[in-house]
Amino acid sequence: MSSALSARAVIAPRALIVWFSLLLLPALPFMSKFYLLLAFDALLFGTVAMALDLLMGYTGLVSFGHAAFFGLGAYASAIVLERGIVSLWACLAFAVLVVGLYALVVSFFATARRGIYFALLTLIFAEVVYTFFRYTQTFGGSDGIQGVPSPRVLGEFAIDTPLRNYYLVLVYLGLAYLACRVLVTSHFGRVLVAIRENEDRARFLGYNVQRYKMAVCMISALVTGLGGALYPGRSAFATPDLMLWTVSGEFIIMVMIGGLGTLAGPVVGGAFFVLLQEKVSSYVDWYFIVIGLVLILIVLFMPRGLLGIRELLGGRRWRTTA
Amino acid sequence: MDYLVAVLLPQLLHGLVFGAALGLLALGLTVVFGLLGVMNFAHGELYMLGAYAGIAVIGATHSFWIALVVAPLAVGAVGAVTEVTTLRPLYRREPLYGLILTFGLALVFREGARQIWGGDMRRIAPPFTGSTPLLGMTYPNYRLFLLAASSLLLLAIWLFFTKTRAGILVRAAVQDAEMLDGLGVNVPRVFTLTFAGSAALAALAGLLLAPVFTVYPQMGVEMILLAFIVVILGGMGSMGGSVIAAFVIGLAQSLLTLWMNPQRVAIAIFAIMIVILILRPRGFFGREGVLE
Repeated sequence: MSSALSARAVIAPRALIVWFSLLLLPALPFMSKFYLLLAFDALLFGTVAMALDLLMGYTGLVSFGHAAFFGLGAYASAIVLERGIVSLWACLAFAVLVVGLYALVVSFFATARRGIYFALLTLIFAEVVYTFFRYTQTFGGSDGIQGVPSPRVLGEFAIDTPLRNYYLVLVYLGLAYLACRVLVTSHFGRVLVAIRENEDRARFLGYNVQRYKMAVCMISALVTGLGGALYPGRSAFATPDLMLWTVSGEFIIMVMIGGLGTLAGPVVGGAFFVLLQEKVSSYVDWYFIVIGLVLILIVLFMPRGLLGIRELLGGRRWRTTA
Repeated sequence: MDYLVAVLLPQLLHGLVFGAALGLLALGLTVVFGLLGVMNFAHGELYMLGAYAGIAVIGATHSFWIALVVAPLAVGAVGAVTEVTTLRPLYRREPLYGLILTFGLALVFREGARQIWGGDMRRIAPPFTGSTPLLGMTYPNYRLFLLAASSLLLLAIWLFFTKTRAGILVRAAVQDAEMLDGLGVNVPRVFTLTFAGSAALAALAGLLLAPVFTVYPQMGVEMILLAFIVVILGGMGSMGGSVIAAFVIGLAQSLLTLWMNPQRVAIAIFAIMIVILILRPRGFFGREGVLE
């Protein structure tokens, strides 16, 4: 296979078109600062949902603790910024360290178990982290770390406006999408799908199943944690509420809305969730009912998520495997 | 000796009281999990609805005892309707979908309660006050009643599952629903009634604990985590294990409070669970291959 062809297999032209049009999004006349920040959230949580999809959609593991990875990344970044070290690279490096160590422990214990045990173990570990930050005064207790300065890249260039934050997260989304696509189209990704389809058979074929599960768990956690590390740059805070287990549930909702095992789907799902929450909550204060109902309806009638609509309409089948 | 009577003994009793109520909650969770393969995230919300339904009935009738009968029945009916409309279509799908569905249900119930009853903390006055001298100390009557009532209920549930035909059918469905279906039992009806029963039990636990705790829309969120821990510790699908684990967690929680602040207790409970799971990966009574 020529290299041009395999590059097409990794990144569909359509994905490139979407990404480049997102570059132009801020040029639209109605894109105020408010909408730029909303777009930032949409893309950031879209990226997190995509990372979770590596676990849920490809490996068949449901993590109910991804909020802890996200929150730890945010805290790591905020701690670095609070100390006056305003380099984005320092924030990201520290986030990788912290989230990586935590994810190593969690994935070691959680991947030893299947199905519901995995979900509940990730949930309990995340609750430990949440409780720790919620009640440790060094890290601000329930208020978290507030008012941190903006991070800088390349000397004195500060990521301090909504526009710059938007482009930062857009670049991150692009890189993360590329990395995830490379991963799922590789041999590694095929083993993950094999594990999802039949774990015992994968084991009998000689694969060290737990090592694969740990690896994908770590990758998913790191992509999520790095996303979290970008959060204080936008909001100037990191609070324990970012780590509530209901937030992990929201991440799962995003993946379900978008469609399991599609990578692009969860990005759409995350963006859709953020926009839905924003739109609905500005009209009514019972938006959680709306979100809960949306989730229930999707599970019942559109298990393939938003990207599955085309299938319902008789369109081309969306490929669930790489 | 003074320390023992004045400090340790009341905490020990608190632990038993809490453990028994937690057992009621965890039992419903275990049975539904065994039957449907679904960890019911909305279970905490059914517990919460029980307390609010109790407040509503008490408001109308001024009787805690009527509420204790009517509220669980009402929540049980809600459970039955929920099961038929949302969980039944998912029987043949991956349990993952059921798990996620119940998360959506939990959001709807929680927010619904906040819309109907408001977000502030409420209390239910205990149906009787006063305390009884006991082993050199005095202990509130209501808590003694709570302990007796929950223990009797647990006993009744045990008798139901071992002595009655209905209970044996439920256990058979946990074991092998397809076989039961093949034997001509209406399995979906067993599922629905069990789900309703588990909802009623959760509601009962919510109402029984309401005079001791406070009632607010998020009250189920904290309890459900403890209940999950109990179910995991007891061993997935093991009813006896759940009850024993409930007492262990209840006692651990109240005894640890003597030496630590509540936050540390929460972390300690998580730590206990993680250690036990490392030592005994399937909990106290989990069997190999059950829902793994």
